[in-house]
Amino acid sequence: MNAGRPSTTRLHWYWVVGATLVLIVAVIAGVMVGPIALSPVDIMASIINRVPFVSLDTELSVRDEAILWEIRMPRVILGVLVGSMLSAAGASYQGVFRNPLADPYLLGAGAGAGLGATIAIVYAPATSSWIVDPLPLAAFVGAIGGVALAYVLGYTVRSGRTAVTLILAGVAVASFLTALQTFLQQRDSDTLREVYGWILGSLNTAGWGDVALIAPYVAVCLSVVFIGRRLLDILAVGDTEAGTLGVRPGRVRLIFVIFATLGTAAVVSVSGLIGFVGIIVPHTVRLLTSASYRVVIPLSILVGGAFLVVADIIARVAISPGEIPIGVVTALIGAPFFAVVLRTSKGVVS
Amino acid sequence: MFRRLIPLVAVVAMVGAACGSGDSDDSRPPATQTTTSVPRTTSTEPQEPTTTTEAVDGGFPVAIDAPNGMVRIESKPERVVSISPTSTEVLFAIGAGEQVIAVDSMSNFPTNAPVTDLSAFTPSVEAIASFEPDLVFLSFDPGDIVAGLEAIGIPVILHGTALSVDDAYAQWEQTGAATGHFAEAVGLVADTVVNMETEFDSLPEQEVAMSYYYELDPTLYSVTSATFIGELLGPSGMMNIADAGDPDGSGYPQLNAEYIIASDPTLILLADTKCCGASGETVAERPGWDTLTAVVDDSVVELDDDIASRWGPRIAELVMDVVEAMLELEPSNA
Amino acid sequence: MTVALEFRDIGVAFGPHQVLHDVSVEVDAGGWLGIVGPNGAGKSTLLRTVAGAVPYDGSVLVEGLPIDSRSQRERAKLVAYVPQRPLFPAGMAVFDYVLLGRTPYLGPLAAESRDDISDVWEALEALHLVEFAARDVATLSGGETQRASFARVLAQKAPIVVLDEATASLDVAAQHEVLELIDRLRKEMGITVVSAIHDLTAAAQFCGRVALMDGGRIVGSGQPGEVLTEELLGTVFEPSIRVIDVDGSTVIVSLRTEETLSDQ
Repeated sequence: MNAGRPSTTRLHWYWVVGATLVLIVAVIAGVMVGPIALSPVDIMASIINRVPFVSLDTELSVRDEAILWEIRMPRVILGVLVGSMLSAAGASYQGVFRNPLADPYLLGAGAGAGLGATIAIVYAPATSSWIVDPLPLAAFVGAIGGVALAYVLGYTVRSGRTAVTLILAGVAVASFLTALQTFLQQRDSDTLREVYGWILGSLNTAGWGDVALIAPYVAVCLSVVFIGRRLLDILAVGDTEAGTLGVRPGRVRLIFVIFATLGTAAVVSVSGLIGFVGIIVPHTVRLLTSASYRVVIPLSILVGGAFLVVADIIARVAISPGEIPIGVVTALIGAPFFAVVLRTSKGVVS
Repeated sequence: MFRRLIPLVAVVAMVGAACGSGDSDDSRPPATQTTTSVPRTTSTEPQEPTTTTEAVDGGFPVAIDAPNGMVRIESKPERVVSISPTSTEVLFAIGAGEQVIAVDSMSNFPTNAPVTDLSAFTPSVEAIASFEPDLVFLSFDPGDIVAGLEAIGIPVILHGTALSVDDAYAQWEQTGAATGHFAEAVGLVADTVVNMETEFDSLPEQEVAMSYYYELDPTLYSVTSATFIGELLGPSGMMNIADAGDPDGSGYPQLNAEYIIASDPTLILLADTKCCGASGETVAERPGWDTLTAVVDDSVVELDDDIASRWGPRIAELVMDVVEAMLELEPSNA
Repeated sequence: MTVALEFRDIGVAFGPHQVLHDVSVEVDAGGWLGIVGPNGAGKSTLLRTVAGAVPYDGSVLVEGLPIDSRSQRERAKLVAYVPQRPLFPAGMAVFDYVLLGRTPYLGPLAAESRDDISDVWEALEALHLVEFAARDVATLSGGETQRASFARVLAQKAPIVVLDEATASLDVAAQHEVLELIDRLRKEMGITVVSAIHDLTAAAQFCGRVALMDGGRIVGSGQPGEVLTEELLGTVFEPSIRVIDVDGSTVIVSLRTEETLSDQ
């Protein structure tokens, strides 16, 4: 008699439509708004012109076209990728560690990336003689190395390989790597601004190359996290019970950490350490919809992309033609916004 | 990270110096004047000799009104330590190089400077004191380095980042006065002024004002006209595109990539060639930058980061590089 | 009768502390085994070996095969486990919580089917939780959360159910209600129940077999009447314990001694 009754927590279509609309509006705004005013009509015409066999007249000069297609578009797309990935990674970390304060940098991905980037900036000045740009590569390797180190440390603890020992190992690794990073940075004052700028994060110099570089990682990692999202709800009842429900908590945690970290490493390698996104986006989604990861993960992917695109619009137009580091914007607009959501919500945050 | 300094007031009194100079050149200021009175616009006057004998200086003790307070130097220093790449360049340029016993690890010019592993960014009182200096130049005091050295009786002159060209000149002259090379220092200032003016004078009138983008690093940090570099390049008549991008007046705004493309500066000046590997090629590879006139016309100027980040005597070379690039452009610009 | 679950020579040590010594006890299919004994006797530790939550020597046999010879999912299809203090995640709807019981039947990446959903509704109905389906599981009362965890167990459809102090936090009436419920489910569905239980009276009334533990050892096992005697309980708990027959039901209480009474 109950066969046709729906389950109570579903990814309601109106949530998905709403979040998708938010993302679309953000992307359109991101393409339309910039320090250089381009008319929306011309932008539309220019976009339609990319369709084969169509040719419309636009008022855009060659340089305007370059601004639109070489700078603004990749920047917006990169914003979507970075925001989605950091939000999904943040939600994953919160799920596997049952810790609302977990963010993608919890286990040392941020500190490792920072150290890698600093090493690259200090010791491997970018020149065209490198086959690959050493900075993103070093940041990527650093992020993964940091988390791997935390895992090794956390799992060599004799008593109890729990989520808590892993977090503690991550905190230790992050502090250590940050100390190393600061040491290198202080030794070489010439590169201080570059290191500091990287840590605050920026999409300012993004191009299609960066998009192409990270898109495969983001696609794979988001897919894994999305498909496996149900497992995060199981971990919520604790490792012992999750084990008696037929999952291996350690293995689930490892898989989520691997893919959340891989995606985070990829995006921070081109965007720098943009903070706060991984915490406030999943929590906002949770407060407005449901605490179930079946809902939180997909909506965080959509809303996270939108959030970072909006933050980036502010980063480039607030003091135009100057730039504000996007990490500053995410905290500046993110914190008050989150406070409002927190106050007006029904308070289901775990 | 760019420290604001109280403007230098300069050398006061007690300096014997140029009064007894052999060449009775009226344009040479008497040493008892404050250095701010050194004429900066001497384009109509003959170039002055840069070398004077040490004998003309030599009146010690001197009191130097340095940014860190009045510094009294009892006798001509013979064990000078420079923890500032700029001071190192100045010391050697004014003939005080032989008195320098140690310089910091970043002091890579001139190449015969006695480089040590002393750090300019995190200087240590003990490490500096171990050289038993009788005068120390610093560009940065992160803590109590000045107080620490003074406490053990070592005179210190803190010459921080110059905020203006006059600021730099005053530092050079103080450096001269403190080491017994005041006349050479004054000569160096005058030479630099003349050389740079000669350079700028060689520029024809610009029918359409040129503009420049000065890059500090590949994340598009730049400098405005209010900075030392901006002031230095002011007489070129070029517009600085960063001026619009600095509403909060930091002097060092990060510019938006779209804005740089839309501004289409006549010249792109790269001060991040050594630190960050920027070059004409890397700039051309940046998304959208291939549409820039400066890239198409090959007027991307690769400056020497070291010169551009210091406020030493080689600023004239920087001006020369920029003027040269402007002159190459002239035919097409006219 | 076949043996559903057997603990064979179980030894557990936490560092230098041996907390279980060669514990062997078994329960027949469809039976109810109550593990009783004082605090720290090792009841929970013994049950936690089934959940794989503690490393142990010896073997836990489920339907004749060592439990760790089966995959995690196969194990979960055979044995359901409710810990002493289950974690009820804030923000999770009761329905979703019960739905977790279907986990062993889903591939790691699969979604729940219509059948899984209807199993959950059946379990909710059996435990009178239908109107609570959308409630946040963390906001339920003590008795309601117990029912929610049993609903999850029901949805899991495992033939063996291991309960660690399932009724510890309930008042007398609620405890009785829950125990009756378990007994009804046991009889109707033919499941085997193993439970650690504090209340000796409850153990005497509901469990077909009891095992009395003390100091990490089994000191007696068999039918309640054989094990829950004044002699045995007196040595394990305190001499003043009394086993009383009230209208054919066994009641086990501890009386105050004359010594403490005379102090008043």
